[in-house]
Amino acid sequence: MSVDTFCSAIINQLNTGVLVIDLDFNIVKWNRFLEIHTNKKPENAIGKCLFSTFPELPQKWFERKVASVVQLKSPSFCSWEQRHHLFNLPHTRPITTDSKVMAQNITFLPIETQGVIEHICILIEDVTDVCHYQSMLRQTLDELALANRIDGLTQIFNRKHWEECLAKEFSRARRYGHDVSLIMFDLDHFKRLNDTYGHQCGDMVLMEIAKLSQSLLRLCDIFGRYGGEEFAIILPETDLAGAADVAERIRKGIGKLSLTFQDKVITTSASIGVAVIESHNNRYEDLISNADTALYQAKALGRDRICLSQQQTECIELG
Amino acid sequence: MTTFNLNADQQDCLQEIINVAMGQASDQLARYLDTFVYLKVPSIEQVNAQSLSNSLSQDQQSIAVVSQGFFGYEGIRGEALLVYQPQDSDRLADLLGYEPGELSVEEQIIDLSSILTTTFLNVFASQIDNQMSYSAPRLLSAGVSSVSEHLQQLSFNWDMALKVKISYQVTDYSFNCDMILLIPESAITNIKTVIDRILDEY
Repeated sequence: MSVDTFCSAIINQLNTGVLVIDLDFNIVKWNRFLEIHTNKKPENAIGKCLFSTFPELPQKWFERKVASVVQLKSPSFCSWEQRHHLFNLPHTRPITTDSKVMAQNITFLPIETQGVIEHICILIEDVTDVCHYQSMLRQTLDELALANRIDGLTQIFNRKHWEECLAKEFSRARRYGHDVSLIMFDLDHFKRLNDTYGHQCGDMVLMEIAKLSQSLLRLCDIFGRYGGEEFAIILPETDLAGAADVAERIRKGIGKLSLTFQDKVITTSASIGVAVIESHNNRYEDLISNADTALYQAKALGRDRICLSQQQTECIELG
Repeated sequence: MTTFNLNADQQDCLQEIINVAMGQASDQLARYLDTFVYLKVPSIEQVNAQSLSNSLSQDQQSIAVVSQGFFGYEGIRGEALLVYQPQDSDRLADLLGYEPGELSVEEQIIDLSSILTTTFLNVFASQIDNQMSYSAPRLLSAGVSSVSEHLQQLSFNWDMALKVKISYQVTDYSFNCDMILLIPESAITNIKTVIDRILDEY
């Protein structure tokens, strides 16, 4: 067997497309991989213009790419990550992936004949698999990142993520001299609810309260479960009066909420503390502790009410 | 510190090979980009894994880093990292001769990196009677941590890297980028052998 037949036998067995063009973009050679995937007979491709055989190619881009290979005498590459494919070809996993067209890694190689480049060899690798697994991986990572931020029961932000958000909002507000307010609220007599109706009832109430409160917030407010039956809301660009309005909406909403658990009607109420950033607050923890003190005050004054943290704490009476 | 523990002759020889490679590469680039390319004599320094990792982490947040492997005869191999600052990528498409909107910023950076790496290393290889092959360039996901992580996870154990700092200045246009050639110790030994042979022939 001569070396040439040897080589062409191997090239035809490759699971990679091998396409040779001349500098006028005529197809000089291709291997079996391309013949099969394009479903074209060689006589309809060899000697024909590349762009009429593959009308999907971006011609100007392609010409510039080839020009760089010829002028610089160096290979050039095109990855599926930037361009999913150049050649519109089917692939071998149409059932098990959601991709219709073969994802491709493409290499442009200069082919020298006696020191002069007269041809370009284009290698087309099928990377549909890689592309598929990569997108599955990305999806999983997104889900993981989300799971890392979300409280499993209530589906709102967990304490850790919420606190990171607060740290960010706090330092931004301090830097630009803007307002940021904090609402912290706690369900009244939640332990009694758990003891009377069981934890499943308590869980249901927490989920419903989270859903209701979320629906009363603006898009930019950041809502999280601070712990147990305590919730917290960051309100960027909001002064104390604005935050008090939101808090009152939530207090009223929770008061009106009537839930049923095993045919029993469950009602609850919330005590709420509200604080706004003050010039002497250096740490975001100061804001938490001010809101927490106001919340404690609201509890002490008989629950189901809002207390505002200020130099002198003032309370909105239950109305 | 001497570069890769090379003696003075070996070091001069390496610097000379790199200067010539740089000169020829920039000449080719100027023709290809159809504009005047000015560049300074490349500074070559040796960096170790730790200091490179540190110096990259000290850089601005959103640097883009493109990695491309290279391998030639006589065990000469390594990985080239092209490090860009974000402000350098504004007008690349224009420089590369593509139509606006024809390719994404990522693709432009990758394309330019491949051109810089391969033109330089092709000439470098031919200077030492070698020939390089290349893996496809990859954009390492933006962000400093990923770059430092990447350096720590490189598939070969590299101790030293050759940092070739290139500052390209193009008329009506300027950008800087650092080309860092990471070379594993075994390949460094091979380069020394090649340099010694060149010195012998000289």
